Amino acid sequence: MNQQKDYIQLIYRLLVGLLGIGFLYVIWPYISSVLLMLVFAFLFTTVLLPSVDALERKIRNRGLSVLAVTIGLITAISIFIGSFATNLADQAGDFSQRLETESFMDDFNTFIDNTKAKLPSFVLGESDAQDPAEKLNDIMGGLMSKLLTFAGALGGFVFNMIMVIIFTIILLLNYHQFKKTLVSFIPNKFFEVGLRLIFNIEQQVSNYLRGQFLAATSVAIMSIVGLYILNFFGANLTLVVFIGIIAGLANMIPLVGPFIGMLIAFAVALMNNLGIEAAQAHMLFNTIPSPFYILDVVLLFIIVQQIDNNFITPLLVGESVGLHPMMVMIALLIGGTLIGPMGMLFAVPAAGIIKVVGQEISFVTKNAHLL
Amino acid sequence: MKSPFWSNLFRNWNSQESEKVTALRQVPVFNNLSDKELDEIEKLTHERKYQAGEHVFKNKAPSEGMFIIISGSVEIYLDSDGSKKVLAELKEQDFFGEIALLDTEPRSAGAVATAPSTLLGFFRPDLLSLMERNPALSSKILTNLGAVLAERLRKTNQLLAAKSDN
Repeated sequence: MNQQKDYIQLIYRLLVGLLGIGFLYVIWPYISSVLLMLVFAFLFTTVLLPSVDALERKIRNRGLSVLAVTIGLITAISIFIGSFATNLADQAGDFSQRLETESFMDDFNTFIDNTKAKLPSFVLGESDAQDPAEKLNDIMGGLMSKLLTFAGALGGFVFNMIMVIIFTIILLLNYHQFKKTLVSFIPNKFFEVGLRLIFNIEQQVSNYLRGQFLAATSVAIMSIVGLYILNFFGANLTLVVFIGIIAGLANMIPLVGPFIGMLIAFAVALMNNLGIEAAQAHMLFNTIPSPFYILDVVLLFIIVQQIDNNFITPLLVGESVGLHPMMVMIALLIGGTLIGPMGMLFAVPAAGIIKVVGQEISFVTKNAHLL
Repeated sequence: MKSPFWSNLFRNWNSQESEKVTALRQVPVFNNLSDKELDEIEKLTHERKYQAGEHVFKNKAPSEGMFIIISGSVEIYLDSDGSKKVLAELKEQDFFGEIALLDTEPRSAGAVATAPSTLLGFFRPDLLSLMERNPALSSKILTNLGAVLAERLRKTNQLLAAKSDN
């Protein structure tokens, strides 16, 4: 009789579970973006919580502490983006002025001819009849239309960012109450196991973020030092500190991130060195043509990536979540396949959380008689 | 009539001490803590309600922290060879399970509510995070905890000495 009851209970649970999954599948497109915002808000909260708690102990007011930390952070980010954008806009303005001059078009055509002459014939393939300068104009025209699309996407991004900031402020204000409310739902029987689970998840996320922050800092420092070394050899790169910081931050997005810093360095190298004969004729190790120091920049970022991927990230990030490097790779692949770069960003901490939950479920199953 | 603006602005000036803070004040583990520090500890505690006969924890269960009795009563017992040996009957403002704040070993005895009870739990994860955030406060708690355990050890030694004399 009891066995029959168990089966009915099992079937009932399975049906409820399947219904739940089906319901989630149907509503997923409507809630996924909000969930993503909440995940980001939770991550920002984890990063900012120690500062808010420390300030609250001093000034005895949670609201003011949250306000001070949020305003401080937004101000710092605005100053960074503002000064970077101003510097970049100055350089872009200067570049576009040079772009309009006739001599630059000649320079550009000469440079293309020289490069073609240096390259072996099999690399060139079929010759293109279009004038290279005209081609550049076409590219610039295409770029403008792409900029408009980008502006639209930027609007969406700004809206999402504002929502994430609002969620973060609410979470920071009520984090301890939210946690207590969550804990209050745990039945007495599983209370201590539940507390341990929540603590371990918090530890996983904060360790991961700490590891990521340290890895990003090392990538930023290595990129800055590397770019200064290139400058020492005449690369004429500006905004070095900005490029380094952006490379470090972008590095948190696996696989795609590292290219972001490199692309900005590319653009700066191109803008600064156009029209400079020595830079156009530059050879990497005096053997490989590297106009505008482009190959030097690529090589630099490859070296930084190799050091980061083989030494820093496994040491700081893999260790922090207690996952085998193989598991990290699998998690990244699954995350990337499911939701692209965003999936890769969250794959490792998500795998860490799944591991902790699995361990607790296994513990509860084995020790059910003790609970 | 009292203005809501002023009463809201100075709402903390005449605030009564909560029942939880009063309970925490009685526990030797939180001796010599200032009002501010007790408020911080109160934020970390969890209030739980138990029915009569409901287990707070079983013997050998995973241990995460200590409990303070706000109301009701709890029996501490040991199961050996199927027979139940009651070790202590605890009432309001008593506390138990404090060893779990220091180690991760399973519970050395079981605890069961003998009447509808409200307990306040203070747990190791919260103590660990407090150690990172406020080392001065957590040092006070750990010193007090050491003193409680030293007192227990002294009493156990006295009991052993008395038993060996007999």
